[in-house]
Amino acid sequence: MIRRAVLVVLGLIWLGPTYLLIVNASRPAESYDPARAWAPPGDFALLDNFARALEGADLGPSLASTALYSVVSPALGVLIGALAGYTIVVLRLRHGFWWFLLLFGGTVFPSQMLLVPLFVGYSDAGLYDSRLGMILIYTAINVPLAAFVLRNFYSGVAFSIFEAARMDGASTWRVFWRIYLPLATSALAAVFILEFTFIWNDLIFGLTLTQTAEVRPVMTALAGLMTDVYAGTPVPVGLAAGLVVSLPTVVLFLATQRLFARGLSLGSV
Amino acid sequence: MTRAPILGRFRHGYVAPAALLVAGLLYAPFVWTAYLSLTRYDGLAPPEWAGLANFAKLFDDPVLLSSAGNTLIWVVGTMALPVGLGLLVAVLSYDIRGGAWYRVPFMLPYALSGAGLAMVWSPVLSHGGVANLLLGVDTAFLQKAPHNTIAMLLVWTWQQLGVNTLLFVVGLQSIPKGPIEAARLDGASGWRLFRHVIWPLMRPLTAVVVGLALVASLKTFDIVWVLTQGGPGRNSETLAVTMYKETFVAGDYGYGSTVAVALTVVAGLASYLYLKRQVR
Amino acid sequence: MVRSRVATLGVAAVLLAACGGNGAETAQKKTELTLYNDKGAWSKYFEEMGAASKQSIGLSMKPTGYTDSAQYQAFIKASFRTNVKPDLFTWQTGGMLQEIVKQKQVADTTAVWQEAIKAGDLSQDLAPYYTIDGKQYCVPMNVAYWGMFYNKKIFDEHDLKPPATWEDLVKIAETLKQHDVKAFYHTSVLFSFVWFEQIMAGMDPDLYDRLSTGQAKYTDPGVVAVMEKWKELIDAGYFMNPGDKTDPGDVLKTGKAAMVSFGTWFNTSMTQRDMKAGADYGFFVIPNVNASLPKTSMIFESGPLCSLAKAADPDASMKYLKWWTTAEAQKKWAGIRGDVSANPKVTIEDEALGQVTKDAGSGEYRLVNRYFEATPPPILTAALDGFSKFVTEPGTYMEVLETIQKEADEYWSTHQ
Repeated sequence: MIRRAVLVVLGLIWLGPTYLLIVNASRPAESYDPARAWAPPGDFALLDNFARALEGADLGPSLASTALYSVVSPALGVLIGALAGYTIVVLRLRHGFWWFLLLFGGTVFPSQMLLVPLFVGYSDAGLYDSRLGMILIYTAINVPLAAFVLRNFYSGVAFSIFEAARMDGASTWRVFWRIYLPLATSALAAVFILEFTFIWNDLIFGLTLTQTAEVRPVMTALAGLMTDVYAGTPVPVGLAAGLVVSLPTVVLFLATQRLFARGLSLGSV
Repeated sequence: MTRAPILGRFRHGYVAPAALLVAGLLYAPFVWTAYLSLTRYDGLAPPEWAGLANFAKLFDDPVLLSSAGNTLIWVVGTMALPVGLGLLVAVLSYDIRGGAWYRVPFMLPYALSGAGLAMVWSPVLSHGGVANLLLGVDTAFLQKAPHNTIAMLLVWTWQQLGVNTLLFVVGLQSIPKGPIEAARLDGASGWRLFRHVIWPLMRPLTAVVVGLALVASLKTFDIVWVLTQGGPGRNSETLAVTMYKETFVAGDYGYGSTVAVALTVVAGLASYLYLKRQVR
Repeated sequence: MVRSRVATLGVAAVLLAACGGNGAETAQKKTELTLYNDKGAWSKYFEEMGAASKQSIGLSMKPTGYTDSAQYQAFIKASFRTNVKPDLFTWQTGGMLQEIVKQKQVADTTAVWQEAIKAGDLSQDLAPYYTIDGKQYCVPMNVAYWGMFYNKKIFDEHDLKPPATWEDLVKIAETLKQHDVKAFYHTSVLFSFVWFEQIMAGMDPDLYDRLSTGQAKYTDPGVVAVMEKWKELIDAGYFMNPGDKTDPGDVLKTGKAAMVSFGTWFNTSMTQRDMKAGADYGFFVIPNVNASLPKTSMIFESGPLCSLAKAADPDASMKYLKWWTTAEAQKKWAGIRGDVSANPKVTIEDEALGQVTKDAGSGEYRLVNRYFEATPPPILTAALDGFSKFVTEPGTYMEVLETIQKEADEYWSTHQ
């Protein structure tokens, strides 16, 4: 009971700013007054504000690209990272710790500093402004995280599971694909969520490595609306833009909730 | 290696895609940055060799000291709040009925982009903002150091807690039921059960959360950039913000790259020391 | 280039299977141009211009927008050495333009300027900002004049009129203070330079020019006097708290401060908030602090639209720039954004802004290049930080000036 009470209290605190976001995104743009930001709106103008935010941003073509990047890259990243983690821990790759450090090292570099050299390299290699290029960079960014989570996750799995499967004659790939991957559903899902969100909200790589509307991520115009003083966007419209952009991620969160419910424990394997 | 057959022969092939992607797209570009740190470069004319001049400047730059101090606040604060509180929420919710739904409020902020985050929080932390009203004070939270860094840390906690919770939950769920049942039979419960049975068993995922948070907090950039741009008067700059400003805003690519190299070395060393103990 | 090799090597390694770049680079005839810009929020407007140009000169244009100007500039500079070349791109006047012109990257637009001035499409007054070593580069993408936006209702309530002199302005601030209304807006983020440039331009515009070319020091008595004047106003309680993060548009609308100083583009913020010019808000040119100056100084900003000397289709790019300056194009460009235009033939609906543009075009004011463009980036960076510290702690002004000067010394020692 105490546990639930603490969770509810903390949850309510967390919902406070979320409330402000929704209330002010629902306010008619011209009636926003920062001094009364907490008050419920008189009229419900959320949809109007959505429309106003979207009107400035031609989302059509880039929506498909962004969706592609944020689904394919995390999927690839999770798979490649999980395979690496499995190889290092379960297959006991020699110098595994150093291989792991090599992969983890990918998270250490400040990403802002990678942009210019990546752009130059991409334009030389003919990858600039291509979907393939975008998928590659997003996958690369996601691999270290996936490798780390899955490496550590697999380190907690009893080796006997692996041995038993190998005794039955399964190949190492088959063991990975049929046993270790399904085993780690919740870990994979957690990593996928993190990476999806990162790519969906990413501005810097998307802007620097692409040019045409069909390849560019969706965020540019909307982010401009929110940050550019020259745009003069009223606060409710800016917030509505932020809300619209967040919706797919929220849907993903809610859709995957089930995976994190008790009962998928390894103990039952 | 008598085990070789059972472990398979194609192991390097399995780790190769990951290693190539990371080396080719993350390490290689950084080599350029490392090279630039030894030059004078404005992003346009060819770089001029400068030897260690940029590094000499690094040790002589008073701003770097305050940036390093702020970064330290971020590291320590991140461990205490987004990580610590995240663990609390995970432990409280992972095995109760409908626990996932209790976690929804903490996940929602994570969906918000950086620009959205600034739009939500600026009016809260502003002078005369919502926080002033609620707390009955008259303070501009984002102005004086170190208050502004601490205020931003709280915003960061608001946004990041859910993710840490999620990873902790994965760790908690991966614990075999056996040992817990056994400990319960021995009469362990509550804190003792957690401290002596659950905590050691969830260690692998704890190492993930702490390791990631360590590197991420050393590289803190976005939230500071959108809320204060490191000001006023550079008093809320982190190392990554200093790096960005020197490179892109002031156009001093050489010095900015030097800060980047220093930051990378610190982050690399810190994570090596941590991972060596936790992961090996 | 080392840079290319390293990065290419990496990329190539990842690809494994060769993904042959089909960069067959020959002079090509383009019918659609890309316009790279750091005004991501203006994409819609740029697209409308692209449609208009297609109709009028058979050349369409697609914008590629960025949201962070620092990152945008780094990208453009890097693109010069790659085969990804923008057909058109926005830039900054001042040191930034000089830098890329010196590297021989920018296409010469002298012919376009001469013709446009003859035809009355561009004013001679603008040319200096686009002239380097006697030649013109780029054309004006936008122009803006800086002045004071004021809340008309508050002014009416207290029986106030736009000021004719600096003393009037201070008197207005004092009256408002008596009634518990903050007179002025200022901020510690990005636009921290506004009052510095304004007071300085109104006290000693020559010193302002010398300061931006390194002939004067930030610690000179004239500059110190500016800071003291600014501090005097802050100490008198005329400014709202710089830690107030309210959007300046909302500041003016809700009357948190009665006056907000910005460029004419701030008009967009007003119209986006359903504010009516003349009824809800007004605009006036800020009078000089030093009444004995011959002309009123007005801060002026202009962003160039450029093309590269080695553009994929230089003729098409030039044709576009030429079209951009025409009254037809500018009428549309100013109209869709509700802002002023660089073309004197374009009339502006908004009365106050229209008057200002007309007067500025006829030499009524001394135009002073905005601090943001006038100051070299490293000094600007130090100055923006310094002023943001100053507005939070006004007592530190000497320390702030010394810090800026230190950066200036370093910069001017390597740039004559």
